Amino acid sequence: MYELFEHTADLGLRATAPDLDTLFAEMAQCLFTAIVEAPATIRSERPETVEVAGADREYLLFDWLKHLLYKFDAEHQVYGRFEVKVRDDGLTATVWGEPLDPARHLLNHEVKAITYHELKVEPTAGGWAAEVIVDI
Amino acid sequence: MKGAYAGPLERVDSCCYRIPKSYRPDMRVDGLIFANETLLESIKKDQAPDQVANVATLPGIQGASLAMPDIHWGYGFCIGGVCATDPAEGGVISPGGVGYDINCGVRLVKTNLFWDEVKPHVRSLVKGLFHTIPAGAGRGGRYKFDPVETRRLMGEGPRFVIDRDLGVPRDLAHTEANGRITDGDPHEVSDFAVKRGAEQCGTLGSGNHFLEVQVVDSVFDADTAKAFGLELNQVCVMIHSGSRGLGYQVCDDALAAFRGVPAKYGITLPDRQLACAPADSPEGKKYIAAMRAAANYGFCNRQLLMQQAREVFATEFGRKWEDLGMELLYDVAHNIAKLEEHVVDGKKKKVWVHRKGATRAFPAGHPEVPEAFRAVGQPVIIPGDMGRASWVLAGSAGSMARTFGSTCHGAGRAMSRTAAKMQATGRKIEKELEAKGVIAMASSRMGLAEEQPAAYKNVDHVVDVVHEANLSRKVARMRPVGVIKG
Repeated sequence: MYELFEHTADLGLRATAPDLDTLFAEMAQCLFTAIVEAPATIRSERPETVEVAGADREYLLFDWLKHLLYKFDAEHQVYGRFEVKVRDDGLTATVWGEPLDPARHLLNHEVKAITYHELKVEPTAGGWAAEVIVDI
Repeated sequence: MKGAYAGPLERVDSCCYRIPKSYRPDMRVDGLIFANETLLESIKKDQAPDQVANVATLPGIQGASLAMPDIHWGYGFCIGGVCATDPAEGGVISPGGVGYDINCGVRLVKTNLFWDEVKPHVRSLVKGLFHTIPAGAGRGGRYKFDPVETRRLMGEGPRFVIDRDLGVPRDLAHTEANGRITDGDPHEVSDFAVKRGAEQCGTLGSGNHFLEVQVVDSVFDADTAKAFGLELNQVCVMIHSGSRGLGYQVCDDALAAFRGVPAKYGITLPDRQLACAPADSPEGKKYIAAMRAAANYGFCNRQLLMQQAREVFATEFGRKWEDLGMELLYDVAHNIAKLEEHVVDGKKKKVWVHRKGATRAFPAGHPEVPEAFRAVGQPVIIPGDMGRASWVLAGSAGSMARTFGSTCHGAGRAMSRTAAKMQATGRKIEKELEAKGVIAMASSRMGLAEEQPAAYKNVDHVVDVVHEANLSRKVARMRPVGVIKG
């Protein structure tokens, strides 16, 4: 489960999940909800593999989202489906998406960057929760 | 939304309040917030004052951690913050104190047209601007630079594009730092950043960035207005944008590189987003070199935006832009760190002035003020919101004494984006603006809702404070008549 939340000039992404793998996938979905108005319009066409290294879970989440943002901003790719395997030393993910098509994808926010401000990945009673503020 | 600020705020004078160093044991200096009683009430509603206190903990900070009246809650540093650090005292450089959008800034382009002549054209003019100037997320521009060219552009600043007939050399003299911050190193800018920037120079972006057609509706200081070439009912173009994806990536790269750095130098931080390095350390120097190069890209971006606006005006009015008097008044950065000479406790020092959502406001006589304005002070361009007003101010002597030569940068948000969108449900912001005499076009439906006038503080109140505090003085007020947004 994920949602966007408010922050005076910027925007927050928040998700909860029973396990870390799902949490990281949900946060990626949440990021593309911030970027594209109706993420359901994204066709999960081509799978790509993503590898991110890092032992610190919060930095790992940050780097994972940062990678996806880079793929959007520099390579104009949008993604609609994510499968993530989080390990102690990093993650491996398969992401499905397609090139941005302005005719079908209505853009929502220009996410400039993922920030470290109040970045959280925490265990909860039901599993895991994460929060991150993005600069828009 | 987090709770309100509950710490101390002591009145210094009618437009300045202090967070005393005693508030927290980790504060090295006081925090000073320039605001009047009314603005202070809204400032206290979130944690921006705590962020002012956080910045006061940075090593080598001089004077005080400062906040302008348009302060609002950011991440790490508040928006509207000024912080000067002395490298000789272990002073740090902080990418968060500059912001993601390195050299986000504003330029004001004059015309010799008056509102009467432009009024019948305004709708067509706004359409022309909207269709010519790329705005919004994910849109590339018409200027494409390969990686070698992008790095050269960062090394040379707008001169690089002016040499390609995209502007004239006199534009440079009216750009902060003549459009080129020296000692930058484009090779410290990562390939990722260069790739993000390759297609984005000359694009507006989204969020609060805009291009507006404005009319001078009040003149407060006739002599200075004359020196600036501004008069009542004159039409101007204001451009607000920064260094696009390239700058964001430079900040991102630096924050990643700085992860272990505070610990390495024994710096304890209250917020990870304040990540910093001693300005003279290898890590600090690398960031500074990349940040300066990215800043030059920002000046170039606004140069290309201006040039496109000049072309649209030329087409609309059937005259060359030169004949329309489309001269650049000035271009100022409001997200930047610069090494500047200031007097601290009676001693001249070279300090790193971080301006995150704050504008340089050098007074008359300062050697860095362009010759044309040296007798009156540096032009300061303050964008407001798209329904009310924007301002031209001039740097005043008080800025050197109190704020390391800085003043406010805009109106400051009063409402979160989500709240603004909720308020806009069922309303047609475009129509509301039109009823007020403003033609607005935006590439995203949400753009106008989030940026609606009510989402911002009244810029007039912000300007009143910096005027009264003698940081900068009122010269002219402009009202918007045409807006394009991302």
